[in-house]
Order: sequence, then C-alpha cells, then structure tokens
Amino acid sequence: MSQSAPAPRVGIEHLNVYCGLVKATVPAIFHGRGLDPSRMDNLMMQERSVGLPCEDPVTNAVNAARPLLERLPAAQRDRIELLVTSTESGLDYSKSVASYVHDQLSLSRHCRVVEVKQACYAATAAIQLAAGYLAAGVSPGAKALVIATDVALVDEHAGYAEPAMGSGAAAVLLSEEPRVLALDPGAFGCYSFETLDSARPGPTFDVADADRSLFTYLDCLTNSFREYRRRVVEVDFATTFDFLAMHTPFAGMVRAAHRKLAREYAPELAGRVDDDFRRRLAPSLSYPRIVGNLCSGSVYLALASLLDHADVATSARVGLYAYGSGCSAEFFSGVVTADSVAAVAAMRIGDQLAARSELSFDEYAALVVENRQCLVPERDRRVDPGRFTERLASFGQPREVLVFTGTKDFHRGYEWLPAGAG
Amino acid sequence: MTREEIARMVSQAVAAILPAVPAASVTGDRHLRQLGADSVDRVEIITWLLERLGLSEPLAAFADLPDIDAMVDLLHERSRR
Repeated sequence: MSQSAPAPRVGIEHLNVYCGLVKATVPAIFHGRGLDPSRMDNLMMQERSVGLPCEDPVTNAVNAARPLLERLPAAQRDRIELLVTSTESGLDYSKSVASYVHDQLSLSRHCRVVEVKQACYAATAAIQLAAGYLAAGVSPGAKALVIATDVALVDEHAGYAEPAMGSGAAAVLLSEEPRVLALDPGAFGCYSFETLDSARPGPTFDVADADRSLFTYLDCLTNSFREYRRRVVEVDFATTFDFLAMHTPFAGMVRAAHRKLAREYAPELAGRVDDDFRRRLAPSLSYPRIVGNLCSGSVYLALASLLDHADVATSARVGLYAYGSGCSAEFFSGVVTADSVAAVAAMRIGDQLAARSELSFDEYAALVVENRQCLVPERDRRVDPGRFTERLASFGQPREVLVFTGTKDFHRGYEWLPAGAG
Repeated sequence: MTREEIARMVSQAVAAILPAVPAASVTGDRHLRQLGADSVDRVEIITWLLERLGLSEPLAAFADLPDIDAMVDLLHERSRR
C-alpha cells in the first residue's frame, strides 16, 4: 500500500429532481396578469411548476430523494452519514426541514442532520463541504445526501419574476463513486459580498430588486470565473468546458451570462457566440425552461437537463455556476461520462415533468394565494389531502407522493398517497 | 472623452441593442426602462458601453441610477480615472 494514497475522487453518485404535480404555462400567466408579451423573448421560459397546498419543503425534498434511494441496496443507504437540506423556505427558526426528511426517508440514526441557508447558492456550498468531508477519507465509503428544496411565494406583485419561479427539489447523493459528476478537485472560484438583491424577510413574501439581482449574478460570474482561472492552470473559457450548466432564474439570464463571459474571456468566439450558446448551454436549459427557478436546486436541475439532452459520447467536462442572492457565488467543474447519462436517464425526469397536469389561469391564481400560507407557523392546522385527490390522480405517471396533512401542536404530519391513478 | 461624446455613445448603444427605439426618445431625463429596455436589454446596453470605453466597472454600480443622465455621469467620471 502506498504511503500517501491519493485523495479519493468524489462527486455526485446519483441525482434526481421533483418538480411537482401541476404546472402553468408562461403565456397563460402573462395573459392573466396583463404582462407585456414582448418580454417573453428575453425571459425564454415556457412553463412553471406549481406546488399544491398539501406540499411543502419537506414533501418536495422527500419526493425528490426517495426514488433515488430506492435504487440503493439497504447497506449503501445506511452509509449516508450526512443529510443536508438547503432551503430558503425554512419551517422553523430552530427545527430543520432535514429532521422531517431524515425521518421520512428512514435514514440511519447515525447520520449527521443539518439545514443550510444562502439563498440559491446554499446547495452548492453544502455539496462542496460534503465533498471535502468525503475526500478527507475519515470515513471511507461514506455517502452524503444534499437536498435543495423550496416553495414559491411570488404573486402578481413580483412582475416578470412570477412566471419564471419554480417549485420543487433536487436530491444530490455524493460519494467516492461519482457516477453522475466527478468533481475536479481544487477547481473552483468563489465570490461573495453583502448586498440586498433579493430576500425573504418573512414567511409569506419575498423582496427583490430585479436589476440588482441580475447585475450581481453577472458580476459574480465574472469574478468567480476569474478566481477559478487563477486556481486552475491553462483554463480557456472557449475550450476547457464541453458544456456549461448554470443557476437559472430564467433562461434569458443564462444567455446574458454566457454572452458576458464570452466577451470577457473568449473574444475569439465573437460572431459565433449564439452557436456556442446553442451547443454548450442550451441542453442545460430544457428542464429549467419548463420548471422555473428551482432556487438552490436550479443548477442541479440544469445538470440533469444537460445529461438528458446533450450528446455525451465518452466523457465531457462541465463548468457549473451557482449564485445565491445576498450574495455568494461559485464557478466549479467536473467530468461526466456516458455512464452519467445512463444514471440520470434511469430517473426518467423528462417523463415526470411531462406528467404534470396543466392548471387554468384561475386555478393557478387561486393556488398562488393559498400557497403563500405554506410556511406560516400554526399550532394546529388540518390540511385535507382528500381535496387534492383529483389533482393527484391527473398526474400522468403512477407513483407515490408524500403529502403534508397539517400540524398538531406545531408538529408537522405527513402521509404517502398514490398519484397518477387516473 | 467628453460628457457629450459619452451621451452620444449611449444613444448609439440603445440603437444597437433596441433598433426599434426612435433616437429622439433617448433623452437624459429618462430611464432605459422607459425606453422599453428590460433587464436583459439593459445589461446588453451597459456592457456594450463598458466594452467600448475600456472600463471594467461592476454592473451593480448601475443598479440604482435614476436616469440616463446619471448613467452618463457615472461613465464619464469612471472614464476620466
């Protein structure tokens, strides 16, 4: 045995998303809210996922992670030694979403359980910290489960952000068997500073400065990529990355981000920027364009989209960018292979997204109002999932979903129901 | 570069990014938003200007500006540094 064994290669072993049971189309929301249809071109969004009142950050997280865990033998599930939920939809100042998720997923009682927050960047912070833990080799063979989970609170006051907002979760299982994405060790660049571009000061509303948020996202991209380039030798934006996947508040923002990086770091792409965008970024946008902004799960939804839509013949390097308001950002990278494509394809994410039933605008608008109460703490609350039997039945794929049944002395209750029976 | 030259350059930027906007409507007392520029268009206009002026000002510096005059002032001040 070698005296100094190299650190194990770590990264994403499995990846799945849950993006709800119902959706609304972006043109319907534009029409219903009286938004200017000429803005749709730069938004580049088609549909958005919408939560039901019997769904919350716990159910979204569990519904994303369970199909992934069901594919693991019990002995491997018990090697999940760290569970992190990342959310800006916390349910309690003290008790974590992760505590309920840990219970519903029947994870080992020897697992570390914690929740993290840094707007849409938090899941990537958790993934990097977990990857460092795994690479340290203090518990060989351990796995870490990071779940980015959120619900939307936006309504007509959010203007053009409303049709682009999503709801759901991304579950990311990390280990020394990085079948989906092997992280490039040491290849990252972070950039953070304090600003108030968007925030959720209370359980029923967000505040957002759309311009500031877009501008800081782009400033942070420039600076985190510069830092990545400082740390990693011979990086060329035009050639180092076969594909890119970015946090996607709306797809038009990612197009603007790509243009900016190309201008700044790859002037030789001038005249070919749109082609480069179609080739290296468009595959990552297919799912975000029909789900909406999945908060800190967004970049992992983009990665799943990339693997389900790009032509990855043997192996490819992917550059990833995560940004969270407030603000903190990171550019990092990893390697995917044809096996990564097979692993993500097995989750049938495209089928799950296609199975969402479509809401009329009136149904959508009523849900937006009711969903704003999702995170409001109530000592005793009864949510009758029976109200949503038809909605669950109209899902186009048979599956079980966890639903929220209410609170009893602040303790949240859940149950499993069949969906897609209709 | 004089302030007037930078103001003319702003009109050129608007014409390049939003060709449908009449040149006469680009006046200093207006915000780019009032000319129909959404946030993505504004990024394009600002980066077009920064590139030609050889500036690397953060975009966030432009987030609070009330109108085109204030944008011209900022660009003029930075280009003299």
